[in-house]
Amino acid sequence: MSISPLTNQLNADDPHKSNKQTVIDCDVHPHVPSLDVLCPYMDETWQSRVGIGKFKPKVAKDGNIPADQFRVPTTRYQHSNGALRKDAYPPNGGPPASDPEYLAKHWLEPNHIANAILLGGNVLGLSAFHDPDLASAFGSAYNDWLYHEWVLKDPRYKLALVIAPQDPQQAVKEIERMGRKPGVVGIMMNNMNIPFGKRHFYPIYEIAEQYGLPVIVHPGAEAAGVYAPDQSVGPASYYIEWHSSFSLIVQRQIMSLVLEGVFERFPNLHFVFAEYGFTWLPNLMWRLDKNWKALRDEVPWVKRYPSEYIKEHISLTTQPIDEPKRPRDLIDMIQMVGADDMLMFSSDYPHWDNDNPQRIFSIFPPEMKRKILYENAKQVYKL
Amino acid sequence: MADKQKIIICPAAELPPGENKLVDLDGVQIAVFNVAGKLHAIRNECPHMGAPMLYGKVCGTMLPSNPHQYQYGCDNEIIRCPWHGWEFEMESGRSIYDRTKGSRLQTFEVHCEQESIVLYKKIPTVKG
Repeated sequence: MSISPLTNQLNADDPHKSNKQTVIDCDVHPHVPSLDVLCPYMDETWQSRVGIGKFKPKVAKDGNIPADQFRVPTTRYQHSNGALRKDAYPPNGGPPASDPEYLAKHWLEPNHIANAILLGGNVLGLSAFHDPDLASAFGSAYNDWLYHEWVLKDPRYKLALVIAPQDPQQAVKEIERMGRKPGVVGIMMNNMNIPFGKRHFYPIYEIAEQYGLPVIVHPGAEAAGVYAPDQSVGPASYYIEWHSSFSLIVQRQIMSLVLEGVFERFPNLHFVFAEYGFTWLPNLMWRLDKNWKALRDEVPWVKRYPSEYIKEHISLTTQPIDEPKRPRDLIDMIQMVGADDMLMFSSDYPHWDNDNPQRIFSIFPPEMKRKILYENAKQVYKL
Repeated sequence: MADKQKIIICPAAELPPGENKLVDLDGVQIAVFNVAGKLHAIRNECPHMGAPMLYGKVCGTMLPSNPHQYQYGCDNEIIRCPWHGWEFEMESGRSIYDRTKGSRLQTFEVHCEQESIVLYKKIPTVKG
């Protein structure tokens, strides 16, 4: 498939394109062209466990996927219009965001994106898989592939290492192996059915703090497999129901992190929640602060207002940005809780619900816009 | 400096340790406590939602500590609102959650003088 001439024309004629603000995109999802690209990074033991290379199973003629190849758990909900951008297919025929050169031409350059934080599109649900060894091995090979094929080939790409939090010891080893390489800027650790404030995760937090790497959380595991949390009251029936409930999960995780004293124990630890929204912040902060006034003796290690820990230790990416009927309400909401230092632009390219950095902040005050599009991420990822 | 009005509440024997007493002072309710021999008088109205503090639990609290470690302290120095559980220092009326800027419970001077419980209420000085 070739580059759509219409898309190019739209990009060129976009009146908002006069905005030349440099952008850091905090959520871009590269995809493997096929699992076989991981072969150089796995020995035969793991190739056979995953089912790639010479161990690749034969696909039945009717196209049925055989059960003897590893699949990272993914959402069980189908998107009626497809979850990937139709204009993002690279000319070489691979899936969207599988060609670093094309992604740069198609997305980074027209939008003045100086850096893109890579959150592996094939491993968003890795934390939901039930075999911690296979999940860890797959994650390591995936990190190697992204590092060699993307980060080393184009320094605009920065890597969030994927880890399998099912086994914190192996996760720590993976961070030790990769975490100090130039171009590695964070650790992607997606949801499990253990709240993030629990001691299970502390070895990971310890090394994340030591290496100065933020922990990044992105949807993908929710309701995807045995280890991933469901949506509060039980499984959703529909994609729209599932997709809209991410904001519930992140609030629960932030409560756990703050109230278990994670940020007292690891005072330099930083979390990024990508794609979980942010307009729920007033409710979360106000409710936690109110309850803390009454119940602080149960968690005496929470020495300050919970909202203060949230503001200092948590960043949130903007996509999918909420679209109130009065767009200015969004600015009021950000100012209401002082969230302008917490927000970082993200596109979610090549997913369907991506945001266009040239458009979504057009009515924002210039200073707020500059922070969200560039400054906040520059600081969090030390770019 | 404000003058003080001296009000005799009751004979000391009527307020032994562990007991409390409600006093109405010109429509303002004041809760007087004898906490192990030490007297406290506070407004019978939580600054948060107006709960009657007479029913509050006199207690200590968990001191600020390292994560997942508890350390009890300030025994008998704290009163907790009977509704939302906000903690106040009985002596100063300050909030435990924020001693400087948090809501403050109004306190009154109270003593045992000549076998009587005596309350002192400030009388605002009239300028003129």
